[in-house]
Amino acid sequence: MRGILEQGEGMQRIHQGAALCFVAFSVFVVWEAWNLEYYTPLGPGPGFFPLWLGAVMGGLSVLWLAQVSSRRGRPKEGALLPERDGRVRLLSVLGSMVAATLLMDVLGFQSAMFLLLLFLLLIPGRQRLWLTLVVALLGSVGIYHLFGSYLDVQLPKASLSLLARLGL
Amino acid sequence: MEALQNLLMGFTVALAPQNLLFAFLGSVLGTAIGVLPGVGPVAGVAMLIPLTFQMSPTGAIIMLTALFYGTQYGGTITSILLNVPGEAASAITCLDGYAMAKQGRAGVALSIAAIGSFVGGTIATIALVLAAGPLTRMALQFGPVEFFALIVLGLSLLMGLAGKSMVKALMMGIFGLILAMVGMDPVRGLPRFTFGRMEFMDGIGFVPVIMGLFGLAEILVNTEEKLTSVSVAKMSSLVPGKKEIGDSVGPILRGSVIGTLLGLVPGMTGSASSFLSYIAEKKVSKYPDRFGTGMIEGVAGPETANNAHANGALIPLFTLGIPASPTVAVIMGAFMMHGLIPGPFLFKEHADVAWGVIASFYVGNVILLILNLPLIGIWVKILKIPYGLLFAVIVAFMMVGAYSVSNSTFDILVMVLFGIVGYLLRKLDFPLAPIVLTLILGPLMERSLRTALDMSQGDFGIIFESPIAVVLLSLAAVILVAPAFRFFRKKTETLSGEEGA
Repeated sequence: MRGILEQGEGMQRIHQGAALCFVAFSVFVVWEAWNLEYYTPLGPGPGFFPLWLGAVMGGLSVLWLAQVSSRRGRPKEGALLPERDGRVRLLSVLGSMVAATLLMDVLGFQSAMFLLLLFLLLIPGRQRLWLTLVVALLGSVGIYHLFGSYLDVQLPKASLSLLARLGL
Repeated sequence: MEALQNLLMGFTVALAPQNLLFAFLGSVLGTAIGVLPGVGPVAGVAMLIPLTFQMSPTGAIIMLTALFYGTQYGGTITSILLNVPGEAASAITCLDGYAMAKQGRAGVALSIAAIGSFVGGTIATIALVLAAGPLTRMALQFGPVEFFALIVLGLSLLMGLAGKSMVKALMMGIFGLILAMVGMDPVRGLPRFTFGRMEFMDGIGFVPVIMGLFGLAEILVNTEEKLTSVSVAKMSSLVPGKKEIGDSVGPILRGSVIGTLLGLVPGMTGSASSFLSYIAEKKVSKYPDRFGTGMIEGVAGPETANNAHANGALIPLFTLGIPASPTVAVIMGAFMMHGLIPGPFLFKEHADVAWGVIASFYVGNVILLILNLPLIGIWVKILKIPYGLLFAVIVAFMMVGAYSVSNSTFDILVMVLFGIVGYLLRKLDFPLAPIVLTLILGPLMERSLRTALDMSQGDFGIIFESPIAVVLLSLAAVILVAPAFRFFRKKTETLSGEEGA
């Protein structure tokens, strides 16, 4: 019983923390809007809408904070983040996407996408090596040609001279 | 008569070879998205918008709308064969559809669902044709004040229906509006919330935001569990018996009416239509206790209703310029990206596009019927692709889709950021639909109000001079305030109960 209560309290704290994040976000919006013109002789200025939106968001966030802090509004048990394995998979997907994005201008779209697919298929996807290699190769080259040649999207080319010479 | 003439003109556009091809592509991709786990219709449409940049506006909208109602067909397949709804509107179909599959009647369930979807979609499109004229004429009377009031009403309806908590729904609506404030001020042209970055001058791209919130967040939720493949129920003969056809006629007709009418209401989701249709079938049935054991009525009604809803939800978009659901809001964004503003002026200024797209709904529904009956085997094969392989390819497409909006890797990072935001918001039980609507409608809403106030030189009294605006805003206020009264009444009842005890 005590364990369940503690779990429930843990979730309650998470919700309270989230509500405080929203409060902070609204303060930031109001602060930014404050520096914009609120009203002009012709009517509302650029700061009018954001100021009110920030204020209403702040009010609602405080209301939500009060709701989750009350006994009746206590959130159900559960976890915000998954167990360790799930967490690793989650972070590996996000991390690899960010890394591939940052590497795109250096390695070029095709190489960065090949590496991303290789990683995603092999590690979180747990696919066989031969299948991973085939899909990663076809996926990176195929998407490049579909978007680059047929849809006229200028996908990044490698800035490294060695890769650039290979046409990547 | 005028509507019929316009529709015939629309058919000449819709039946042009390139537009037929786009309707076909949209139908195939839509069915695939409906079948595949992890990509719902909102993210699916957003993801494929970049593919349409090189197309004509008519072709692009034909493809995206076909994709939208195609997802409704696709969602049925997984509900019946896997007991997993491909999208929320098909969830209720699992009850009787999967039960039928277990009895070896999966083929019949799929056939009836496809026929029902076709009938529902066609009836809703007829309603659109009939409603287009009168609603457009009414909307042409609207000035900025009335338009502002209409948007407020639409958003209030959505928030009122968005989830369990009105506070959370409102928070998400305001969050979307704040995101819509990023970029140049629509009236004065001054930068807001841009933090000196050029990438923000045109605002936050709605495609990366929506792909992040809906597509990537869904993938992140799925990757929490081990990525395994699924087992698919065996297929059987697709030909329904005389009794099954007879039992389906009533549910299909009732589902068409329910779906079309609920589709008109902003904020009403496809799942509400299918659920209501299921309840209606149970009520009129002689054997309500047999529902859930493989009753064809439990498949025919909801599947018809959700497809009628998808087509019906396009009526307010085409006639009033108000999207009734998140996916329709994304389609509205696609319209705007192609330089078209949906609403009454679309029929006036781009009649060929408006009527061409409407006519394409008939064509798309025929294509989908063909795709979903004789070619069902192909979709079953797609279902067998392991998710561990599929999700990586989806991630790759999402990244290139986000990039191609403005040829910038910055947009991919925006998508990743909103993927994390969407993941956390889901975990905290926030409804995401209001964000999409306010993100897309926010600039229009602000522009309408500020134009109106410019006209009155800043006097808010202009709002109260318009009876239409007063009625619309009063309705919005009732929708938003009513839950608070319910809350207090419940509280009073609880207190009096406690006192009594």
